[in-house]
Amino acid sequence: MKIVREALAGTLESSDLMVRIAPREGELAIVLQSEVIHQFGPQIEAVVRGCLAKLGIAEALVVIEDKGALDCVIAARVQTAVSRAVDAWTADWSVLS
Amino acid sequence: MRGAPVRHERSIGSRRRVRVGPLFRKSIQMTAELQSYTIDPVQEPAEREDVRRFLAVCGLDYEAGVQAFVVFRRGNALVACAGLEKNIVKCAAIAPDLRGESLGLTLLTEVSHLAHERGHSHLFLYTKPDCVEFFRACGFYLLAEVPDLVALMENTPIGIRTYCDRLKRLRQPGATIGAIVMNANPFTRGHRYLVERAAAACDWLHVFVVAEDVSLISYRDRYALVSAGIADVPHTTLHHGSEYMVSRATFSAYFLKEKGLVENCCTAIDLLIFRNHIAPALGITHRFVGTEPFCPTTFKYNADMREWLMGDVSPAPTVEMVEIARTECEEVPISASEVRRLLAADDFAHIRRLVPPATLQLLEAKYRAPRISAA
Amino acid sequence: MKLRRSMLFLPGSNAAMLSTAFVYKPDSIMFDLEDAVSLREKDSARLLVFHALRMPAYRDSGIETVVRINPLSTPFGMKDLEAVVRAGVEVVRLPKTDTADDVHALEAEVERIERECGREVGSTRLMAAIESASGVVNAVAIATASKRLIGIALAGFDYVMDMQTERGDGTELFYARCAVLHAARFAKIDAFDVVFSDVNDDDGFLKEVDLIRRLGFNGKSLINPRQIDLLHNAFAPTQEEVDYSRRVVAAAEQGEKQGLGVVSLNGKMIDAPVIEHARVVLRRAEASGVRQ
Repeated sequence: MKIVREALAGTLESSDLMVRIAPREGELAIVLQSEVIHQFGPQIEAVVRGCLAKLGIAEALVVIEDKGALDCVIAARVQTAVSRAVDAWTADWSVLS
Repeated sequence: MRGAPVRHERSIGSRRRVRVGPLFRKSIQMTAELQSYTIDPVQEPAEREDVRRFLAVCGLDYEAGVQAFVVFRRGNALVACAGLEKNIVKCAAIAPDLRGESLGLTLLTEVSHLAHERGHSHLFLYTKPDCVEFFRACGFYLLAEVPDLVALMENTPIGIRTYCDRLKRLRQPGATIGAIVMNANPFTRGHRYLVERAAAACDWLHVFVVAEDVSLISYRDRYALVSAGIADVPHTTLHHGSEYMVSRATFSAYFLKEKGLVENCCTAIDLLIFRNHIAPALGITHRFVGTEPFCPTTFKYNADMREWLMGDVSPAPTVEMVEIARTECEEVPISASEVRRLLAADDFAHIRRLVPPATLQLLEAKYRAPRISAA
Repeated sequence: MKLRRSMLFLPGSNAAMLSTAFVYKPDSIMFDLEDAVSLREKDSARLLVFHALRMPAYRDSGIETVVRINPLSTPFGMKDLEAVVRAGVEVVRLPKTDTADDVHALEAEVERIERECGREVGSTRLMAAIESASGVVNAVAIATASKRLIGIALAGFDYVMDMQTERGDGTELFYARCAVLHAARFAKIDAFDVVFSDVNDDDGFLKEVDLIRRLGFNGKSLINPRQIDLLHNAFAPTQEEVDYSRRVVAAAEQGEKQGLGVVSLNGKMIDAPVIEHARVVLRRAEASGVRQ
């Protein structure tokens, strides 16, 4: 799938995260801000990259403001943002889990 | 029971109501249910007046330009609100007894989603410096701060950085690198003179056209006229303006000048962003301006420039401000505001002497004041 | 038989609550995709709940997972159902159930999805929320509409509006409570009472809990974790009840061992419903002790 518009998902509330995704040519850029970045930064980024890879998103700018979300919340918010940023959301449930 | 749980929405006309119910946090649990919704201050005068009273209690002014508010109520009482004027968050306030709770995060979340629905993803926010920490937790990042007075923040950690990275690719070698920021509303012989003089004094000159589209002449036309007007000046790069430079966000008062609202114009933020971010990206050492005999806002901007670009107010290197006396036509300095005055009077005989042919052509074709029919 | 005293409502769009609610140990957790979720967040809540259902914290907690989906007549209902059945939800709660056909329609879709995703057919259980006069009148037909049903619940807010009245001291719910309860008992499934929405009124809450417990409800929907312990304690048997139930069960086991067709205690015959009730009492005592 291809990111064709900017989209926003999630909240700034505790245990959640806000994900902004935007079209970007030629690269996948992930900008992560987190209250727990020193401890969990790489893990959060791995979850984000894993989610995007499963959805076939190779080009995008993803800006994340994390408030200590669990991995499953991160996955849900990234998937929501992608679903709102593509023209046809064709993801099968099996690639979302 | 239906509707008791925590967020509830139903549509009432254009209004969206989201009920934020008993949260688990004990502090909020003790209180009645919170309800949030969006209002249009023009369509809903009763709500607007309530917001105005609430802001006054919080020590903030109601800003007339706000196009939409997110409002939180507990029971009947307004407990938080935040407004949007295009992509600028304004009038954000939380009732004193609810500060320090997570309500601020919920408020800014709602504003972000509302702005997104209205087509704005890149948001700016003015606040007092002692609130910077609070808004940082809400996903806003500091752009510039005037100690004890005001701070400008944006809702992305990479906004100004990305912009400056793009500028860096246009860096030119040289010891003296100049910059001019012009609105060129419209481009006159005075602008041409300023660019020529500045270019002659530098190894390279960067010219920026103010991008905010609120002037008489459209941005597209202004940029095209500058482009044509300085094409033959050597060692010069013409740049599109940006939100970081004399924009509605960095310098809102500039665009209010025709309404006479100049007294509180905040030039410092705009100049600090230039000095701290833009100048280092391009290696700018000098900023050129024409002397300003007419426009009070521009006059003040030029005066402030000396302080904020050259004073000991920032760790960034100073940028020398160079004022160049305006070229004159029949002993009157040429200015764009004079051209606009003549345009309103349909005095093309005078305009002809102040602007290059391309500007004259465009003004005649597109911006001629409608004449009252003699018949 | 599973104890279902407390069913905690969680808004499906609230990440913090979804991430932590299992620590409160209600008997069931009901993730809400319907009224607690704004239209804007229907899609994100569905994905959040999809992932929450797969969390080991819920899967291994012993807490029954329930999801209230949007009605199938809305643009969201079928998508909700696809997500939650695939994510392994234990019970799907259907809102606004007016007739047995609503249950049949849901069941057909659940079965289709089970087959499509390789889930054991029949493993997704259902519960129906009755929220209208039609639902109350059809309660027996609804309660017996599917083998998958584990219970029916009365939802008060819409019901009282449909009845042209409002929530008050409970008089307004009297017939509906009795009708739903009888239908559930007739169908041998559980019956759940309405939520009590004023989380600060413990006395009012306990009064209502006492009423529905005495009527015979299995449990109640809750909107705040604070209510869980209050409810469990109210549903806990008294020491006297526990002692008596122990004697009943002991006598029954004794009778079974001796192959007697008739069980007696203190010279009085006790029959099957009494024994079954005693077992329920002991399970409640096991779950939350004796009433304080």
